[in-house]
Amino acid sequence: MADYQNLFTRVQVRAAPDWGVPIPQPVFKRQLPPRFSHWLGKIGDAQIGPLYLGTTGVMSLIFGFAAFEIIGLNLWSQVHWNPVQFIRQLPWLSLDPPPPAYGLHFPPMDKGGWWLLAGFFLTVSVILWWVRLYQRAKALRMGTHLPWAFASAIWLFLVLGFIRPVLMGSFGEAVPFGIFPHLDWTAAFSIRYGNLFYNPFHMLSIAFLYGSTLLFAMHAGTILACSRLGAEREIEQITDRGTGAERAMLFWRWTMGWNATMESIHRWCWWFAVLTTLTGGIGILLTGTVVDNWFLWGQRHGIVPHYPRVYEQPLVPEQAGETRGDYQGVPPDTFPGLTNGPRANPYAQPAAAGTPAAAQNPASPTPVRQPQTNAIGQPTNAGSPAAADSGAPVPTTAGAPPPSPETTPPASQPSPSAGGRP
Amino acid sequence: MSTPMMRFVALVALASTASLAGCKRTLSVETGFRGTAQEVNFASTRLAAQLANTHIPAAIPPVPAAPPAGTTTWRNVQVLTDISPAELTRTMVAITSWVAPQQGCNYCHNPANFASDSLYTKVVARRMFQMVRQINGNWQNHVDGTGVTCYTCHAGNPVPHNVWYFTDQNQPLRHFLDRQDVRVQSRTVEPTEANRSSIKQTEYTYALMLTMSRSLGVNCTYCHMSPRWSDWSQSPPQRLTALRGIRMVRELNNSYLLPLAATLPAQRLGPRGDGPKVQCSTCHNGAYKPLYGAQMAKNYPALYAQANVAPAVQAADSAARANAQASPSVRQGTNSAPGLQPPGSASAGTPVGGAAGQGAAPATPAQQQRQTVTPASPVAAPPPAPARP
Repeated sequence: MADYQNLFTRVQVRAAPDWGVPIPQPVFKRQLPPRFSHWLGKIGDAQIGPLYLGTTGVMSLIFGFAAFEIIGLNLWSQVHWNPVQFIRQLPWLSLDPPPPAYGLHFPPMDKGGWWLLAGFFLTVSVILWWVRLYQRAKALRMGTHLPWAFASAIWLFLVLGFIRPVLMGSFGEAVPFGIFPHLDWTAAFSIRYGNLFYNPFHMLSIAFLYGSTLLFAMHAGTILACSRLGAEREIEQITDRGTGAERAMLFWRWTMGWNATMESIHRWCWWFAVLTTLTGGIGILLTGTVVDNWFLWGQRHGIVPHYPRVYEQPLVPEQAGETRGDYQGVPPDTFPGLTNGPRANPYAQPAAAGTPAAAQNPASPTPVRQPQTNAIGQPTNAGSPAAADSGAPVPTTAGAPPPSPETTPPASQPSPSAGGRP
Repeated sequence: MSTPMMRFVALVALASTASLAGCKRTLSVETGFRGTAQEVNFASTRLAAQLANTHIPAAIPPVPAAPPAGTTTWRNVQVLTDISPAELTRTMVAITSWVAPQQGCNYCHNPANFASDSLYTKVVARRMFQMVRQINGNWQNHVDGTGVTCYTCHAGNPVPHNVWYFTDQNQPLRHFLDRQDVRVQSRTVEPTEANRSSIKQTEYTYALMLTMSRSLGVNCTYCHMSPRWSDWSQSPPQRLTALRGIRMVRELNNSYLLPLAATLPAQRLGPRGDGPKVQCSTCHNGAYKPLYGAQMAKNYPALYAQANVAPAVQAADSAARANAQASPSVRQGTNSAPGLQPPGSASAGTPVGGAAGQGAAPATPAQQQRQTVTPASPVAAPPPAPARP
């Protein structure tokens, strides 16, 4: 059947639908009659179907829908189910991973439990879809290039959301679900680890990413430019070079002295695309586990120069002491929002003598705190100024600070070791 | 080249020129080492508009020098006892135009009895005078010789714009109140147990930094070196000024503003019942220097504690705020300004008059040591801190 069409033809052929090539072991009966779409025919093939979903496809869609619903309903609940606010604030809404204090333990549903569940469903969905790609490629006796390229993307996805958080000992390290929040996470990740630009695998990933776009533009431009000579029939032209292929190759020999072949250009593109996420995943995996400050790493290895001081007045020793701030997260994890409840106002009127503070002021939820211990008996909220100056039950009259969304589990919960490293 | 093509190119050139001309012109001034993108960016047109919108009130003509009024001339004057009666009147006229130009004297004073403290606004205003004197006297390393006036924050409004209250969404602002450390970048290449800052903590730092950036109308590299934010050796001197500003704001919130919540009526409190608190933008209001550095305070001696008169101090209340302070030797500025009290006098702990408000003024030097562990309340001490393993 002469079904070849030029890419830019305005003619849409209407004939009996193409049921596809026969395959040796048909896995399903091609019963659903394919249909045609005029508008899809403008940008691709007008024929829709036959579609094969199969068990893995159906399951993948179900799990994917579950993840989508969990994320969407969580975001919607954050605007109190207001549909207008849901649309307006959607770019900023976020389903966050659990606070670092929960480590790898399963948190309450509203403190990251939904995030874990959504992430699990999404991962199952993605992996089932990978299985489906693999099975379809095998069924058609194709190579498995497509599933393996997809696997490279899944690798980066898993590193970000599961493998690295497990190595770091905290699901709180993972990426939130949200439009801007996941971008904010990216910025914070780079800031935390001393500028990801100096991570060599990040460099490689960026090079492959930009290289992919370059190769995409070069290849697509070449084929489109030669399509009037039949160059888009790439498979035929590999074995039986026609004018289109010859001119395409000649063009690149003229302009850069060398050319890829009709076959090898696809290997170039495939490898650049695959290596983008492969190297990116390696770079993420090394961050925080092996290297904690990529800028200093770069200075150690000669990537970054030691810049001279340019401002006139260097810090005097006294000022240097003043500027030596402490880390936010210090063992055993004393970030107030993580290990302590709401802070009370120490300037409030003291309670009447003999009256329990909490009884007199029920608005103050600050309980008497017990020292928390992690699994190996180390205190997690004591021994730090932050814990010490906020642990006392102080009544408030002038308004207590709001409870932090990062509030930790109660002391009875085992092992709230935050952000622990392996 | 064919004529239609040339026409097309000319059209594109014209259109891009027109669109660029319509843009706000952004200027970049390199301030650091070459190639480090260490530069200050600003939109000159926007800056000009902001300058044009910044109204600086004219100074009231000075009055002849006279001995201080003390506590005897007036009834119930507790803070402004070290200036002459004429100067006090002049100051009252100024503060009315700065804070309550629509409402007038009666916004704070009971017209039947100007000495009465029956209006809460008068109690608040007294506390604000103490606060301004603390800023101008002891925080010269942030406000320099410029100092602040009521107008710096109030700008003609009884309640300044850009005050903040507790909400669910402004957690980073608590750095201006009761949170201490924002450093997240390690000083070492390899991970160590010393720094376990999480990504969420980093986002807290990031949000705080953007708050400051917006408050001052400056970009990140105004204070930081972008390849390595934490590096002080490459940071412009503005960063040190900003650090002291954070500590100043923290002291103001804890010692002056939080305690006022008990004085304020319900309509002045936030949704969670807390009083208004200050942040960078309360004074700066989008400018790298408040009011673009206008020298207003020097015309009003009442805004500076005069020598040999210590401000009201209730040191006991400030105990828990100790580690928010820098060491006193650092905090004392080297510039001398009119009425700058000698070092140490602020912490003498001498109550003068009946100190208004429930709060405290500056912490004592011993309390100003960072990392001092002090019980927040004598009612119940925190559990003893075991030694770290």
